[in-house]
Amino acid sequence: MSAPLTSGAAQAPATGVLARAPRAVPTRGGFPAALRAEATKLTAQLRAKLLLAACLVVPPVVVAGLAGQRPPSDTIYGRWVHESGYADSLLLLGFAAQWVLPLVASLVAGDTFAGEEAHGTWKTLLTRSVSRSHVFWAKCVLSAVVSLLALLLMAVSATVAGMLLVGTQPLVGLSGQTVGSTAALELVAASWALAAAPLLAMTAIALLLSARVRNPAVGVVGPVVIGLLMTLLGAVGGTHLLRRALPTTAFESWHGLFAAPAFTGPVWQGLLTCAVWTVVCLLLARVHLVRRDITGG
Amino acid sequence: MTDAPAAPPAVRARGLTKRFGQRAAVDDLDLDVAEGTVYGLLGPNGAGKTTFMRMLFGLVGADAGTLEVFGRTWAHDGVATLAPVAGFIESPRFYPYLTGRANLRLLATLDRVDRRGDDADARIGGVLDTVDLLDRADEKVSGYSYGMRQRLGVAAALLREPRLLVLDEPANGLDPAGIRDMRALVTRLARSGLTVLLSSHDMDEVEQICDHVTIMSKGRVAFTGSLHRLRALAPAPTHLITTSDDLAALRVLSKAASRLDDVSVTTTHGALALRGPQAAIDRCVITLADAGVAVRTLVPGTSPLEAVFFSLTEPEDVVPTHSHQPEPGAAMSTRTSTAPKAAGAPAAAATSRSPR
Repeated sequence: MSAPLTSGAAQAPATGVLARAPRAVPTRGGFPAALRAEATKLTAQLRAKLLLAACLVVPPVVVAGLAGQRPPSDTIYGRWVHESGYADSLLLLGFAAQWVLPLVASLVAGDTFAGEEAHGTWKTLLTRSVSRSHVFWAKCVLSAVVSLLALLLMAVSATVAGMLLVGTQPLVGLSGQTVGSTAALELVAASWALAAAPLLAMTAIALLLSARVRNPAVGVVGPVVIGLLMTLLGAVGGTHLLRRALPTTAFESWHGLFAAPAFTGPVWQGLLTCAVWTVVCLLLARVHLVRRDITGG
Repeated sequence: MTDAPAAPPAVRARGLTKRFGQRAAVDDLDLDVAEGTVYGLLGPNGAGKTTFMRMLFGLVGADAGTLEVFGRTWAHDGVATLAPVAGFIESPRFYPYLTGRANLRLLATLDRVDRRGDDADARIGGVLDTVDLLDRADEKVSGYSYGMRQRLGVAAALLREPRLLVLDEPANGLDPAGIRDMRALVTRLARSGLTVLLSSHDMDEVEQICDHVTIMSKGRVAFTGSLHRLRALAPAPTHLITTSDDLAALRVLSKAASRLDDVSVTTTHGALALRGPQAAIDRCVITLADAGVAVRTLVPGTSPLEAVFFSLTEPEDVVPTHSHQPEPGAAMSTRTSTAPKAAGAPAAAATSRSPR
């Protein structure tokens, strides 16, 4: 250590910060304090900024790229991408549901608990005046906010890019009907909004993995792999009941909105399934965090 | 008129137990840290010091027993138990992508320093100045040396204006200058009226800083009391000598045993260990010189307090033989000076809990 540790001699009388009488640390307001602290950490990291920037920038690039190519007819709304900008937005939604949205969910959430483990900072965080519950919920809320913000940016970016680069022509529905431009925009917005539920469920899975596995890499990659496995499992024939119980199925619940007549059963089923997954994963993660011994760091 | 109830001690543990699997890290621990004291928690690695401190901070839950901090318990008061406490466990850790100042600001947010009527930035500047990190405060912690992180840890603790400062081996990993400065800082903090609970495996450190001490071994209390009481248990100091002829030296000292009955002589690796008061050691040297045996080196061996520490914390099967017998080898101790057993050290039971 090159510099002396104390600014004054060891024999010097207590002055400045040392001369003050100790005061009680407030014990209320722990959750807002934890939320502000988590936000400070998040905004200081490149990861969240890159994620949000990518959600804003990548969709227009993809839409522009599609304009010069043969339409991907084997994917939903792929064949209409040159006919209506709304189809581009829906194509991107369908593609993102495969692995992009699980990745969006896990990039922040998968690291939020495991990152404390990696930095050895649990003991720093939990020896201040906030409870484990406050820290837990602050991390959950912030992870959910980032996931939803990323989804919003992606939705706006994809839809606006489609409208500007391809146009606002009426959209062909899944039953072959024509959907007017205004109605199509409303349905596209609703479709992206419906992705919020499975996105939050995947965020909760990432939070659980992050808390349990305590490894940032597993926390981030795990939900993507789980999402892909769930999608594959859902595609296997004869697994109708299992498929309904998977949160990834809810990424497709918007399909019914574009049928004639529209049906909303999958929407409600998806919301319920995702709610159950979200609540169960968060409760398991919370119980684990509150009960565990912090022995590392 | 009735007397006001006595203030609770800063820390009170009763029957505190923590097991990791089959191993008891802390085993039925009783401990009282009075407010205003500088309390040393000593023990070899694995003695349970850090686990106890983690329990104090609520990082590790107890399997049995109670632990009160200024009369509060985690079970009843939750995180409010920590309100008068600050410190760090092992090496303090921070967010490497934030600056030192930003780390403290984040911790000040968690402590709601602003809500206590303080200007957080001014307070942060004050504690950074106290640990002499003001000029490096706006650099990222990832670039800090180990010693700087230790100092930032102390600053982070002071930010809370605690009544009890808990430091787990604060000088660990520091260079000699860093150790000196850290000890000076802890001494200064103690003089400001803080109660300090300091864990260490360095007897010298505890001797310099603390006025009360608990020695732990295998999760249990091996000794508890004032440093003065611990010193009373200490055996006479040991000196190691090398001579021109160790066998001859042993013979000479054995023949002079009647004049040197307050000295015990044992052989170690390449030296003789003399245990006794300073005046008796002087007589030994003179006797050897008179007999034509040159004393080439005379160095202090294990300090008396270290000897007590070893006697309380090490297994019984390494008790050395202390003898005036000149025969080297089996009858003589072969322990080196780095970890000798406290020959003649009183039984720990004199002031510690009886073994169960």
